[in-house]
Amino acid sequence: MKFLDSHVHMVSRTTDDYQRMASAGVAAIIEPSFWQGQPRTHVGTFQDYFNSLIGFERFRASQFGIRHYCTIGLNPKEANNERLADEVMEILPLYICKEGVVGIGEIGFDDQSAAEEKYLRLQAQMALEADLPIQIHTPHRDKKTGTTRTMDVLEDVGVPPSKVVIDHNNEETVKEVLGRGYWAAFTIYPHTKLGNERMIEIMREFGGERIIIDSAADWGISDALAVPKTAALMKEAGVTLDAIETVSYRNPLKAYGQSGQLKEADWAETEGIDPTDLFEGNTLLRGGQDIGKAMSGEDLVIS
Amino acid sequence: MLALLLSILSNHAEEKPLGWLDHHLEKIENDFSRNRFYFAFSGACRHFDKEHALDLSESDLDSISGMAPGFTIDNRTADHVARTILLLALAEKDQDFFLEVLRALLGAADIREAVVLYSSLPLFPHPEELVSLAREGTRTNVVDIFDAIALDNPFPAAHFENDGWNQMVLKALFMGRPLYRIQGIDTRANGTLATALANYAHERWAAGRPVSPELWRPCAGFVDETIATDIARVAATEAPGQKEAAALVYAHPSNAEKLAEIKESVEPFLKEIENGNLTWDTLGNSLEKDG
Ligand SMILES: [Zn+2]
Repeated sequence: MKFLDSHVHMVSRTTDDYQRMASAGVAAIIEPSFWQGQPRTHVGTFQDYFNSLIGFERFRASQFGIRHYCTIGLNPKEANNERLADEVMEILPLYICKEGVVGIGEIGFDDQSAAEEKYLRLQAQMALEADLPIQIHTPHRDKKTGTTRTMDVLEDVGVPPSKVVIDHNNEETVKEVLGRGYWAAFTIYPHTKLGNERMIEIMREFGGERIIIDSAADWGISDALAVPKTAALMKEAGVTLDAIETVSYRNPLKAYGQSGQLKEADWAETEGIDPTDLFEGNTLLRGGQDIGKAMSGEDLVIS
Repeated sequence: MLALLLSILSNHAEEKPLGWLDHHLEKIENDFSRNRFYFAFSGACRHFDKEHALDLSESDLDSISGMAPGFTIDNRTADHVARTILLLALAEKDQDFFLEVLRALLGAADIREAVVLYSSLPLFPHPEELVSLAREGTRTNVVDIFDAIALDNPFPAAHFENDGWNQMVLKALFMGRPLYRIQGIDTRANGTLATALANYAHERWAAGRPVSPELWRPCAGFVDETIATDIARVAATEAPGQKEAAALVYAHPSNAEKLAEIKESVEPFLKEIENGNLTWDTLGNSLEKDG
């Protein structure tokens, strides 16, 4: 089995993470543009960041046999600096149709301010114009209202739900998101978002259709192996391999594949792994890497 | 050139991407929008083949170089040529605005886009404004980008001052690039470059590293005592292309006397040189092929 982690901020991760991800069967990743912990003060830092997503980070991933894609966008937090936001909006069109850019993202709401709505709307229009998928960040605070409001805005602009992945869902939001026809992504992130045991319960209730799991690993305490670990835990809990593969590989491939920039053939040479090997810590030699060792001492449960 | 490239591309691409390109050419002409142009330039790789080099006829290549001497799209892909066409359409419409857009594109370019922008430089208006962009480009460590400027491109020889030119040639050697594909490598040779190259060779020798036989090509017209000693060493070196390079330097019209002492060791190659079977280009080509 291979994995596609459709939300991971590799610019904040080390080469150790790349190595362990490759060993654990992560064949491809999507890196959304986001804020970087510290607010940016110049459009030039945005531009250099975008350049690194389409340039150096892609190269860095390739050294570990991982295909790197990205989404480009103005994140909601920094949308509140309107002077800067306008300048960023001017450079976005230079990036969104590039090779390996699979959508506009991650965009959406943070504080749910008027400025955030303005730039969500403008970027949704841009995605429509360029015929690109959208990757949505839903807010941590007042998530349910913010998620509903995001979908209202998207529908008002006329974006088809089938081209939108709503991310960072939980038990409270999933029903409406799936019901309105969107892809529903779940971020397996320790402490603040969703643990993977809860994820298994959600799978039991909603099945795998249009559901995606990702790590959103970034500069905070997070886990770059969240997707393979959750897959292993799901297998242990009796979820079928087919369902596991659907949420951790096939669905993100389908959703972002709508950009035409993401094809299985791009990583055909990557070998898959058996999640059982991950879970039981069996020794699995692949490209000189000992997956058992890579995972040993690691608790698969992320809570 | 726009019309020529478009007609060549039309013979090698499907109707659908060609229709897409036509639509954008029409928009550039009649209803220009900067964002749409950006979408089109970067998005060409989403419509045209980006993996296979176009299979061009000799006559296609000849008509291109007839119109822009030294410029070529040999070995380029369909999306590369489509991007060049879009740039030319914009340049035709508004030269000053074109420069502004070109700078924006370069500031945001991925590797394959940068290759298009740099390799198309000889077709753009206001070359004097482009020199600093091209020189900045040669500072890259990405081989494909460096090659787009330095190799098979008439722009540097036509527009670089000596210091830019010399840096580019030295860097080509540093990066292991084939000098014979640098257009104007002989006509732009100069004494400063020859000295810098010889110094570089001395450094390599001191470190026990091999020296490319092509390094001596721009030195051939500037043989002084030091370089004469160097060439004697090259003539005695047992590695592919070394003796041939020494022979080629010897065969330069100004050198028979200066290099008299190596005559015997290069003698076997002189006939090949005389009948045209051994030139700097054939030597560079065979070294490149043998990697
Ligand atoms: Zn994120």
